[in-house]
Amino acid sequence: MRSPRMAQKKKDMWFALLLIVPTALVLVRVFIVPIYQSAVWSLYHYDLLDGSTTRFVGLQNYVDALKSAAFWLATKRTFYFAVLTVVVELLLGFFIALLINQKFRGRTFFRAIIIIPWAMLTLVNGLLWDWIYQPGFGALTVVLHALHILPKTDNPVWLATSSHIMNFVAVADIWKMTPFMSLILLAGLQAIPEELYEAAAMDGAGFWTKLWHVTIPQLMPSIMVAVVLRIMGAFRVYDILTVFTGDPNTSLSYLTFNNAFRYFYFGKASALAWLSTLFILVLITLYIRMLKRNMEAN
Amino acid sequence: MSKAGPSVITPGNASPPPQQSLHRRSIRQVWFTPKSNELIPKFWLWLGLLIMAVFTLAPFIYLFTSSISDTPDLLGGRLFPAHPTLYNYVRLLTGNGAGDYLASVRNSVEVAVMTTVISMVIGTLAAYAFARFRFPLRMTMLFGILAMQILPSISIIVPLYITMRNGLSIPIPFTHAFLLHTGSLLDSVWSLIIAYTSFSIPFVVWLLSGYFQTIPRELEESAFVDGCGRWRAMMRVILPLSVPGLAATAIFTLLNAWDEFVIANAFTQTYASKTLPIAIAEFIGKHGMDWGLMTAGGFIGSLPPVIIAMFLYRYIVSGLTVGGVKG
Repeated sequence: MRSPRMAQKKKDMWFALLLIVPTALVLVRVFIVPIYQSAVWSLYHYDLLDGSTTRFVGLQNYVDALKSAAFWLATKRTFYFAVLTVVVELLLGFFIALLINQKFRGRTFFRAIIIIPWAMLTLVNGLLWDWIYQPGFGALTVVLHALHILPKTDNPVWLATSSHIMNFVAVADIWKMTPFMSLILLAGLQAIPEELYEAAAMDGAGFWTKLWHVTIPQLMPSIMVAVVLRIMGAFRVYDILTVFTGDPNTSLSYLTFNNAFRYFYFGKASALAWLSTLFILVLITLYIRMLKRNMEAN
Repeated sequence: MSKAGPSVITPGNASPPPQQSLHRRSIRQVWFTPKSNELIPKFWLWLGLLIMAVFTLAPFIYLFTSSISDTPDLLGGRLFPAHPTLYNYVRLLTGNGAGDYLASVRNSVEVAVMTTVISMVIGTLAAYAFARFRFPLRMTMLFGILAMQILPSISIIVPLYITMRNGLSIPIPFTHAFLLHTGSLLDSVWSLIIAYTSFSIPFVVWLLSGYFQTIPRELEESAFVDGCGRWRAMMRVILPLSVPGLAATAIFTLLNAWDEFVIANAFTQTYASKTLPIAIAEFIGKHGMDWGLMTAGGFIGSLPPVIIAMFLYRYIVSGLTVGGVKG
């Protein structure tokens, strides 16, 4: 028996398909095809400036990358940067979220100002901190001199040693992205019922006890998601580095970009892109698992 | 902040306090004991807020004060200018490179607006389909889209560059004809619009399909009873109710397109298509940085997103909740 219900269902299917077609076209053409091409080219010697001779070389590009000191240096620094920034951003962001979650006069104002660093252009953020770190007349030196933390005669060139640059880049990133962390955690905090705090207070719990036994367990899903999102963000770090340093070994994305658009080694760059994508894919899988668990919990 | 712990000790109530110390205790209670449903005592709350405000605002204010400083003040290490001046802004907007800077502003506006409009239109349709219909591979496709949203642009930037260089084409299968064939798109804002659209559509679909699911089906069904088709129900009922979600998504897309640097840096060669971040990056000249121009240009470039974010932060927070955490 063919019911009108079945007919409606079939009609709905066609309608759904029609709605998805534009998105599917764009994503296939500008996402899936490029990813496939990038995988193919990573197996080729493909040098744009070299008469565009392409030659199949198998895994040679990957072997070259894994053997090169530059790759490992960039990987090490990227990981260092990711761990440092995410840990600090989580701690700072958490306490800021606690502050602006409480009810007080002028809360709207404080919630609005913390968004400023996050909204600023990333590149301008890099330049601003570069400006702050300028030897002699930059704000960092001037403030340290004024507070007598640094003797007037001492005038360090902050960005001189490339091994320390990542720390200074981290400060800039922490300033910019801590608000993002706070906002995600704030959204999580708002879902915690006040009664839990009241009950804890009845039991005589102080600040740290409440934090440890009420806030953190309740906030765990948000914390996990925020951390994974920020790690993935930290892996892309590029803008600040181009401003701070001409050293492409500072991060995986910088190294990849340089191979592609300074030397036009498209094969090598594709292999590098795939190597860093593999790191991220692990995280993406983790993130999706957590989201699925959150969705099931709701 | 780390000293917040010890101060929360509740005052002992063993013996009734003498009249004299009643006043002192009440200050202590007001400032150092949190209310039962709160976490942080007032004193530590305001100390924390003060530190937070300085941490957040100081660099931004420094950017502004630098932009209104003249060169001697800038290079003399003054945090606040002795003689505030709009000299840098005048130079930026009417000087030698003014045309280039203004062109980059125009490009940025074009790219951000077009990207937002196109990805909102296309993405909303798909988001609605994912939210309302059950079809095979629905979840797989959704999570595939989520993975695309997270993947860094660097992983597909090389093939995307070649695509833009050769021009975008949609061939008709099994023939040599093309449905669409553009010329080379490098050095036009369209290369950026297309690239950004492909990066923001996954985001739009993911965020909005989550949002649409929060709108009760009954509302649509009552529209069907009134004789609306699927399409009209979507336009008349669902979209108006989704304005907060749509706004959050559009703001994110707009801010991302305004901010993007990696792809723009690779795809744009001349001021026909350079965006604001690229133009500002170029103030790093061969002969050192022009800090006055940089701070003025950077301040102007950062103002639109900062203003948008400050006024619409409510939407941003709710957008983060729906998209980032709950899925």
